[in-house]
Amino acid sequence: MTSGATVIETRGLTKTYRNGPTEVHALRNVDFRAQRGEFIVVLGPSGSGKSTFLNILGGIDHATSGSVLFDGQDITAFGDAALTRYRRDHVGFVFQFYNLVPSLTALENVALVTEIAAHPMPPEEALDIVGLSARRGHFPAQLSGGEQQRVAIARAIAKRPELLFCDEPTGALDSATGVLVLEALAEANRSTGATTLIITHNATIQQIADRTLRFADGRIVDEVANPIRKRPNQMSW
Amino acid sequence: MVIPPLRRKALRDLRRLWGQALAIALVLAAGVATMILGNGAHRSLSDTRERYYADYRFADIFSDVVRAPLALVEDIEAIDGVLQVEPRIVKLGRPEIDGMAEPASVLLVSLPKSDGLNLLYLREGRLAHPDAANEVVVSQDFASAHGLRQGSRLTVVMNGKRRELTVTGIALSPEFIYALGPGEMMPDPHRFGVVWMPRPALEQAFDLKGAFSNLALRLARGVPESRVIATLDRLTAPYGGGGGTGRAEQTSHAFLDAELKQLAAMVKVLPPIFLLVAAMLVHMTLSRLIALEREQIGLLKALGYTPAKIAQHYLEFLLLIVLGGVLVGFVAGAGLGAGLARLYARFFSFPFLDFGTDLRVYGLAAVVTAVAAVAGALQSLRAVLSLPPAVAMAPPAPADYRGGNGWVLRAVRLRQTGRMVLRHLLHWPFRTASSVLGMAMAVAILVASLWSFGSIDHMIRVTFQMAERQDVKMVFGTPETPVALADIRHMPGVMAAEPFRLVPAELTHGTRSKRLVIQGRPDNARISRVLSPDLQPMPMPEAGLILSAALADALLLRPGDRVTVEFLEGRRSVIELSVSGISLGYVGLGAAMDITALGRATGDGPLISGADILLDEAEAQAFFKAAAATPKTAFLNVTDLTVSRFRATLAENIILMISVYVTLAAIIALGVVYNFSRIALSEQGRELASLRVLGFTRAEVASVILLELAVVVVLAQPFGWLIGHGIGRAMVAAFSSDLYRVPFVMGRQVYASASLIVIAAAGLSAFAIRGRIDQLDLIAVLKTRE
Repeated sequence: MTSGATVIETRGLTKTYRNGPTEVHALRNVDFRAQRGEFIVVLGPSGSGKSTFLNILGGIDHATSGSVLFDGQDITAFGDAALTRYRRDHVGFVFQFYNLVPSLTALENVALVTEIAAHPMPPEEALDIVGLSARRGHFPAQLSGGEQQRVAIARAIAKRPELLFCDEPTGALDSATGVLVLEALAEANRSTGATTLIITHNATIQQIADRTLRFADGRIVDEVANPIRKRPNQMSW
Repeated sequence: MVIPPLRRKALRDLRRLWGQALAIALVLAAGVATMILGNGAHRSLSDTRERYYADYRFADIFSDVVRAPLALVEDIEAIDGVLQVEPRIVKLGRPEIDGMAEPASVLLVSLPKSDGLNLLYLREGRLAHPDAANEVVVSQDFASAHGLRQGSRLTVVMNGKRRELTVTGIALSPEFIYALGPGEMMPDPHRFGVVWMPRPALEQAFDLKGAFSNLALRLARGVPESRVIATLDRLTAPYGGGGGTGRAEQTSHAFLDAELKQLAAMVKVLPPIFLLVAAMLVHMTLSRLIALEREQIGLLKALGYTPAKIAQHYLEFLLLIVLGGVLVGFVAGAGLGAGLARLYARFFSFPFLDFGTDLRVYGLAAVVTAVAAVAGALQSLRAVLSLPPAVAMAPPAPADYRGGNGWVLRAVRLRQTGRMVLRHLLHWPFRTASSVLGMAMAVAILVASLWSFGSIDHMIRVTFQMAERQDVKMVFGTPETPVALADIRHMPGVMAAEPFRLVPAELTHGTRSKRLVIQGRPDNARISRVLSPDLQPMPMPEAGLILSAALADALLLRPGDRVTVEFLEGRRSVIELSVSGISLGYVGLGAAMDITALGRATGDGPLISGADILLDEAEAQAFFKAAAATPKTAFLNVTDLTVSRFRATLAENIILMISVYVTLAAIIALGVVYNFSRIALSEQGRELASLRVLGFTRAEVASVILLELAVVVVLAQPFGWLIGHGIGRAMVAAFSSDLYRVPFVMGRQVYASASLIVIAAAGLSAFAIRGRIDQLDLIAVLKTRE
């Protein structure tokens, strides 16, 4: 479901950092471009640079060189305040360990974001998209892992982000729950039109994507388009 | 030497958590320091006094007479229980010092015999030769105030005659450790001193050959003072005996006692506050540390470490902190103690004052502190012992915020971050409550120390601007006829003068009795007035007595009651008077009546003891000169000098006291805020990093922790005011004595200053935390499971 326009683009993106005496090249000259509404799965072994890539795109890590263009603006040139603004208005994050605020209910966790975003949807609507309207008053401690992750997705999409970044969203879940979470992500992608990047170790998931990138050694080594997207519940694990 | 791994971990933990450890150590140190300061000062002051009294034979009973023959001494020595009697001549004299315009007085005391009582401690020179007519020994403070040395000349007017004296020595006496001039509120060595002279010279000067005017007695141990005084009074009554007094009523001793009482009160209040706060901090910090190290504890247990061994590890970690706190406390306590000793040296003249060498004080402080800290750790250590290894190694279940606090949120509309703050505070009620209490204690310490300055101001204002409005109080050596008042009115500069009469008396009600001086005042006096508790001037009743509240309380008297009055002067008549009213009075025990009624009651007729005078400032010098030349004048009290001396003395103390108390309160505030926020940050670091990722600014994220802090700090204020108010009230009750009553004046500015100081300290601590929030590592936090 691509609409053609480029939302985000990287040019020569490079990230190196020192780990003790050795210099680690996390990203080497990565060029990448994503269209509005695109659903992209990023595969690759641990340490291949995919999380670093996602973190730099999401504005929570800094590149060593190269540029990241969002809507024509180079976010690598942004200071802390502009990056905060960028995450606040344009980026939704979903992590492996949910990172919900335990002292807030499902609905309140979503409202946490809608209160500060520029054009949010009502938090109830976001919960409805992930199918958790009935659990809105529950605290994280009262929810299963899959439910917590779906709240995290609702929280990520409630701001109507242009970009939705998910780092191992099903990594801590069993397959049945994982499917529910992926369905929520697919629905979120469909209903909000957010360009969605999902990092995963699970190659099966590429069946539901428009495109699959494979990272190795800090580079994109393979890129496969998927003309026929499956629905998550049609995937064969 | 191989350090066992767990001990090495304790040392590393200490280095890692140095901020929190330091905060706890400082609070402990404050407890140790105040304990050492209070106990040490108390012990050193009372030990020094005891040794001084014993070595220099401080008398047990003192008694003034007008003039009694030396032959009476034998009868007094025969009183059962009396070990030694020293008949003395004690009289006021007036020094004439070049360049000194304001009136001064010296107390002339006959030199004690070498085996007598109240022996002198010679600082310099020698005692006066017994036969020398002009040799004197001078009290140290007076000597240094006027630059007198051995060989210096001193002119003193005695009994109307000017005498040139030679200083042979500078000395101290156990009788004048606190040397207060007649009618004064604070020692002023510039205007009052003691001059010891050989007896023959004084006999001649005051026409007391073969007689004495004052007695000092020493009693055998365990002899009831009151019984001896009763017999003594009977024997001295025919010679104008004013009644014997024990040490408790001897000025110097009583003021020292009041100081000791204050120190004892401080030891009861301050150290427990610090130890309580420290125990709470230990509890908070160790609980969190152990929660964070659940997995390690489980692992250690799985490896075969016994629970006791693991608990010992945490105990060692704690004891390292205690050790640091105790050592800092020792140094601070010794330093403050030395400062206090210097302060004492200014007010109290001791030949020696050792401070803080008593190891028992230090030992006790260390043990009490360690016990308080370990008590704070007990619950956390129990958790270590009871944790089964398998459970410990699994991550803890996420905090469950279900619970009955929904009503709070329904009552107030909050943003989500506000809800986080509120739920977090309510989720850890014990921690929240103890942090609030800790902060409240910081406020309370300040409220309980700052109020006294306002009270003293109030006391000065009421005493000198509303009650005693005279510029000068002139007191005669002996009562005079009313002609003397007319003479005063003719003196230069006198704009108005009102007479007063002072008669020593013993008031008895039931089994209680008190000795004091009854003041006779003109009806509707305008210069010096007796005030009611609501600060209105009280007219003198025709016949009855007006008692100060302190006296009425001491004798359990109420208006309308009858009281027996035995005059201890003149005809020594005994009459019954009714209590007409209760007056306000901050200093001493007071009773007042109409001056004419008093003259009738004593049977002496219209005599006066002196006058309260309003002075034309321009002619003050001329007046002082004229007053000095009048033989009737025993001494003058100049209100301005009294008040400025009082204020100057207080100003010196206030700066020291305020800085000590502010430091102590700041230590608590910093310690509580720092630990509270570090723990909150450690618990919520993950959530806060998530907020940053979600697009919250640094300021918005910091506000979550800071808001939590602010709630604690704000909640603490009213409790602090309340506790401080309570401590203040208890202090007033503890300090009240026959010497003085401190009015309890708690102004709004006391609460405000206390709160502002604590809030500033909290702000400082929060500032340090803000830096840590800004440095949150977003990625690291999100990649790890809690």
